[in-house]
Amino acid sequence: MGSTIQKKLMRMVMLICGTILLLTSGAYFVYEYIIYKDLARQELASVARIIASNSTASLAFNDQEDAKEILSALRAQKSILAAVLYDADGKSFCTYMGEAMADSMPVYKGKDGYQFTARFLEGFEPVVQNEKRVGTLYLRSDIQAIYDRFFLYGIIVVCFIAVSFLFVYLLSKQMQRSIADPILKLAAAARIISNKKDYSIRVAETNTGDEVGELTKAFNQMLGQIDFQNNEINLLNANLEEKIRQRTEELQNANQALVEQNEFIQKLIDSSVDLIAVFDEQLHYIAINKQAASVFNRSKEEVLNRHILEVFPSLKDKPIIDQLKRAFGGEFLHVKAYQSQVSDHYLENFFVPLQNKNGLVDRVMLIGHDITDLVEANEKLKRANAQLEKSNRDLEQFAYVASHDLQEPLRKIRTFSGLSEQNADKPEIQKRYLSKISTSAARMSELIQAVLNYSRLSKKEEVAEEVALQQVIRQITIDLELAIEEKKAILLMEDLPVLKGNALQLHQLFFNLFTNALKFSRRQPEIRINYRMVAPEQRFEKELPGEHQWIEISFADNGIGFDQKYASQLFSIFKRLHQSSEYAGTGIGLALCKKIVENHGGMIRVESAKDHGTTFLIYFPTTIVSFSAQSLETDQALEIQ
Amino acid sequence: MKQCGGHIKSWAIAAIMFWGLLFCAPDAAAQKQVTANQVKAVFLYNFTQFVTWPPQVVQNGPFIIGLLGGDPFGSYLDEVVAGEKVNGHPIVIRRYANVSEIGNCHILFVHQADPKEVMRQLRGRSILTVGDTEDFLSEGGIIRFSIQQNKIRLQINAASARNAQLSISSKLLRLAEVLNK
Repeated sequence: MGSTIQKKLMRMVMLICGTILLLTSGAYFVYEYIIYKDLARQELASVARIIASNSTASLAFNDQEDAKEILSALRAQKSILAAVLYDADGKSFCTYMGEAMADSMPVYKGKDGYQFTARFLEGFEPVVQNEKRVGTLYLRSDIQAIYDRFFLYGIIVVCFIAVSFLFVYLLSKQMQRSIADPILKLAAAARIISNKKDYSIRVAETNTGDEVGELTKAFNQMLGQIDFQNNEINLLNANLEEKIRQRTEELQNANQALVEQNEFIQKLIDSSVDLIAVFDEQLHYIAINKQAASVFNRSKEEVLNRHILEVFPSLKDKPIIDQLKRAFGGEFLHVKAYQSQVSDHYLENFFVPLQNKNGLVDRVMLIGHDITDLVEANEKLKRANAQLEKSNRDLEQFAYVASHDLQEPLRKIRTFSGLSEQNADKPEIQKRYLSKISTSAARMSELIQAVLNYSRLSKKEEVAEEVALQQVIRQITIDLELAIEEKKAILLMEDLPVLKGNALQLHQLFFNLFTNALKFSRRQPEIRINYRMVAPEQRFEKELPGEHQWIEISFADNGIGFDQKYASQLFSIFKRLHQSSEYAGTGIGLALCKKIVENHGGMIRVESAKDHGTTFLIYFPTTIVSFSAQSLETDQALEIQ
Repeated sequence: MKQCGGHIKSWAIAAIMFWGLLFCAPDAAAQKQVTANQVKAVFLYNFTQFVTWPPQVVQNGPFIIGLLGGDPFGSYLDEVVAGEKVNGHPIVIRRYANVSEIGNCHILFVHQADPKEVMRQLRGRSILTVGDTEDFLSEGGIIRFSIQQNKIRLQINAASARNAQLSISSKLLRLAEVLNK
């Protein structure tokens, strides 16, 4: 009994039969109950009538003995438990008690008839003689018999139902086969077919002539059709496979040819010395050659099929994006010099719009011709030119100055040598004149030496070495020992950094500043040398270019100072604010200082007020400063007297 | 239940009750004194229920209970039968001084008279004769009240009843002591 359809059929039949049996038995039971009660009542009533009829005389003639005898006849009726005879007045006249009956007897209340109580069937029967009532009879009957009977009925019904069920079960088991078996066969066949995909299976047809038989027939027909169609499909499939194989082969060949062609094209663009990149309309890279990859320092895989801004985010809002867009508009662009934003190369760019079959531009080829060398050579040339122009300007200035300043000692020499000639006979005068001539010559020699120094600076010697400023200052104080002692000068200085630069030039720079400070003083000179980092927010105020950090070294004295309005002239060559008779000097020193500072990429400024000392501010980019290279032996301000 | 007349009925009931109490509930015996004559009066009436007269004697006129030789019941018997009927005929009490006065009669209570004489004169008539003398039955009377163990018992002469063409109910016969003379 495995399949559910069998179970369902059986369950259905059993359920229906069970319901019918239960209903029938129930109805029978109820019927029996009513009938039997009625019967019992009637039986009791008829017994009562007989007794009543017999006891009329006893009542009429007060014969209790007789009444007792009549009632004792009830002993034969086991079910009657008790009987009471009442007289016409309702008073108990005679009582009969069956076995095991000790209950108190009821009082007649003037109502005849029978009724079932919980334990008994009881009732009052009038005792009538010739239509004259002479008393009342009470009878009490045990209804245990009824219950016993119903119990028996119950057992019979249960047995009946059980046996009926067994029959129904056996019958339905036999009969459901005629419906379930063909369906089960169908199901089994369907299962095998779906598992094994074998459509040659057929289900044995039964000649029952019902719908199941038709279903089986139809199923078999369907299988036949499926089988037939399957064969056709297989045949078609075989043909199709052959065709696919051929087509695949053709495709492979075509593919091979394409691949070869592609490789050839890639080889062609890779062998180009120019940078080649091709973009689609969304500005994705769709091709890039080896040269471009190496210049961009990206592998092809990193670049291909990605958006230009995804690969190079820094190109956002740069002109190249706009140029590409213009090229997609069909414009051929030629950008002669373009500094690559993503490499240090200079390129000459060609934006070539590529049209598709419909004549629409859907790709743009960007060809970048590397002109880095050319541009760099150009730059070098430009710089050399600028240098040259500056030298020329210096030379012009020098020529002017030389013609003016150098002429003065020469004029002196000519004058005194003429005077000396005139006074050839006066040796003393001659001697004095000759001395003057000698002084002028020395002066000239000094001037020429200074000019030489200056011009030497113009030829840049870019030898960078680590120079400890502390060391430089110390050396200078040694060189100028006599002058310092003579003027009793005081030097206050903190730790100074180490610069990367030309030691000789830096020496000259501070030497000149020192000599100036000593020279332009009337009282005891006091020199302070400090330095500090320039805060970024001060950079603008100090008019310093913004690309790097700056260090400020201040060199302050308490000398005579000057009016600030002359500050701009101070660093010009041969410029002097004082007469040479008052303060000796060549007028080249500060020009030299400026040159040296500029040679180191720095700037020099001066702040002063008359009689309030002078402060030189020297700025160096921190790129040439190193603070750690040399730790100096003293942290305190160095003081020399 | 058939409705019975007022006073006499309740007297009859009282009489029955007395006997009932006497046997079944002795505790209440003293409740009401019922005399033997009162019981006899009720019995006289009750005989109408258990005895069948030939149709021709009860067809016409009232049902007559006669008293011969004095009335021991006083008005009691009248009360008992008041309103009662036999076969649709009202019951009438007739008191006779001697036998010759007896005309149409159904039950005759012979009190103080010579039963022999009475029986001889009434021979052949369908009258239920009731008496209480010892020789009443032997002289041809039908029913006799006898006192036994302080209780009124009935004695019936079946042969006399047959002669009088009276049919006495077996129920009554069962209660009585039956003589066949």
